[in-house]
Amino acid sequence: MTRHFTWWAERALLLLISAVVLFPISWMFLTAFKRPRDAYSLSFDFTPTLQNFVTVFSSPWNLGSMVVNSAVIASTTVAIAVPCAALAAYSFSRFRVPGRKFYFFLVLSTQFIPAVVIVLPFFIMFRSLGLLDTRIALIVVNLAIVTPFVIWMIKGFIDAIPTDSEEAAMIDGASRFRVIRDIVLPMAAPGILTSAIFCFILTWNEFLFGLILTRRNAVTLPVGLVSFRTERGDLWELMSAAGVMITVPIFIMALLIQKHFTRGMTAGAIK
Amino acid sequence: MAEVQLLDVEKRYGQVLAVPRQSLTVVDGEFLVLLGPSGCGKTTTMRMIAGLEDITSGDILIGGERVNDKPPKDRDIAMVFQNYGLYPHMTVEQNIGYPLRLRGIERTERARRVREVAQKVELGALLARRPSELSGGQRQRVALARAIVRTPKIFLMDEPLSNLDAKLRVTMRAELKHLHHELGITTVYVTHDQIEAMTLASRIAVMREGRIVQLDTPKRIYSEPADLFVADFIGSPSMNLIEGSIENGRFMAEGISLPVGVADRKDVVLGLRPEELEIVPGPDAPVQGQLYALELTGDATLATVRAGDAFVCARGAADFSAEIDSICHLAPKQGCRLHLFDRVSGNRLAA
Repeated sequence: MTRHFTWWAERALLLLISAVVLFPISWMFLTAFKRPRDAYSLSFDFTPTLQNFVTVFSSPWNLGSMVVNSAVIASTTVAIAVPCAALAAYSFSRFRVPGRKFYFFLVLSTQFIPAVVIVLPFFIMFRSLGLLDTRIALIVVNLAIVTPFVIWMIKGFIDAIPTDSEEAAMIDGASRFRVIRDIVLPMAAPGILTSAIFCFILTWNEFLFGLILTRRNAVTLPVGLVSFRTERGDLWELMSAAGVMITVPIFIMALLIQKHFTRGMTAGAIK
Repeated sequence: MAEVQLLDVEKRYGQVLAVPRQSLTVVDGEFLVLLGPSGCGKTTTMRMIAGLEDITSGDILIGGERVNDKPPKDRDIAMVFQNYGLYPHMTVEQNIGYPLRLRGIERTERARRVREVAQKVELGALLARRPSELSGGQRQRVALARAIVRTPKIFLMDEPLSNLDAKLRVTMRAELKHLHHELGITTVYVTHDQIEAMTLASRIAVMREGRIVQLDTPKRIYSEPADLFVADFIGSPSMNLIEGSIENGRFMAEGISLPVGVADRKDVVLGLRPEELEIVPGPDAPVQGQLYALELTGDATLATVRAGDAFVCARGAADFSAEIDSICHLAPKQGCRLHLFDRVSGNRLAA
């Protein structure tokens, strides 16, 4: 009896949570395909249109350049942050350096500083460097934000890998770098991939620095979203279309890597 | 093939002394077993030879060459780990071939040698599988094959059989012994299983709290344990150790009176192996007490007799039977070896 009840309660709770999470997202997807005059109606009965997507990609919105900016910034950040973080994480995980806990705390402590506190110093720094409104500025800032987090994440994955295989490889004749390349990276691959996705999502969604450090050339998608609040009011259908453009890549990525999350790569390494 | 020498080697972790300063020579071609309870420093000692653990002071020589500062990869050793240390993302063939790949041996030659070794350890049909698709015994063989695929100067084995079930352990033990005989490579083997040590070793180093307490052939370790620790550790069931004193040339304890022909003294521990005791009818037997337990092992019956505070175990005939709590008499067999130890220091007393 109680078990039956728990089963149903569990399902009901899961459904409720899913509904709460999914409702705004599905509403956004719906609105993206509505004509302006349908945008405020609560009815599901409307004629779908792709016009909103055409509009956001043409002048004056030019979402295309924002997509390029976001894509370049996010993928460059990932491409630099993840390899560096993987090596750092390996070192933190494996080398018994005196004071390594303190160093690790130092790395993590960068995450304690609220972004609003440092956004102004960053602005002034990049202004004097002449890098305002450039992709480089955002890549640098995003690297600073994301790398400590990714180090922490990958370290967790590497900590979970037993050292036996590594030691076996060293005895088999591999140098430390060879061990990392042949043994650690393949075994940590699911974790590193997961971290890379996280890193990409964080950068892709980053708003505050994008807002303050860009004006016209390096504007990213989340910042671009704000421009749909105009003197004519909030253009919900266009904002939703842009929102879909922000969300879809992340969706696809999540679907593609799903199987990596579940594949237990370390299974069978030890008894 | 090579000799391994540890000269005044010491290992500390911060303030903790893991392995105190000592020397050890592993003779070329021998099978040396480091034996001891867990935490006695045997694995640390092996890892220092492998180069996986730095040494705090002293020198390690392999084949006469000082290897203190050499990384594991340059020491020309092969090692089998307790948990095998296989590469889960590689197939069995790639696992075994990895040491060869690192040495730049070309593909066809590599495949040939991998197949050859795989045959030797009966893995031929499993080359395309991954470790996760193998049983414990098969994984063990992969680890072994990976170690013997090239001919290293020395083999290191860290409790390689401890994760196998009892039956497989006995089979693999014989295979290891045969392999050592066939290849003749100097082997250092770590275990806490005294039977494994007895059956495999050319020599055993019994370790306790980091220190080697006795280094000798299995036979001598069994027949002449250097102290109480070794006496208690070697043998199954373990040696009966009875506290008492020597009066008028006889060892005396409650329920026990046995001529030993040694000068009188107090604080003595008498050691008697169960297999050297027999159950006798007589009332004037040296050991007398109440029967505490009877255990049939198949080929024999272990009778535990309570004499005073001491429990004395004897290995009797398989068909022996008696009531629990009945009075039972034990006597040393003809030519039985009596072991006498100092109770305080634990050292063996010269007979």
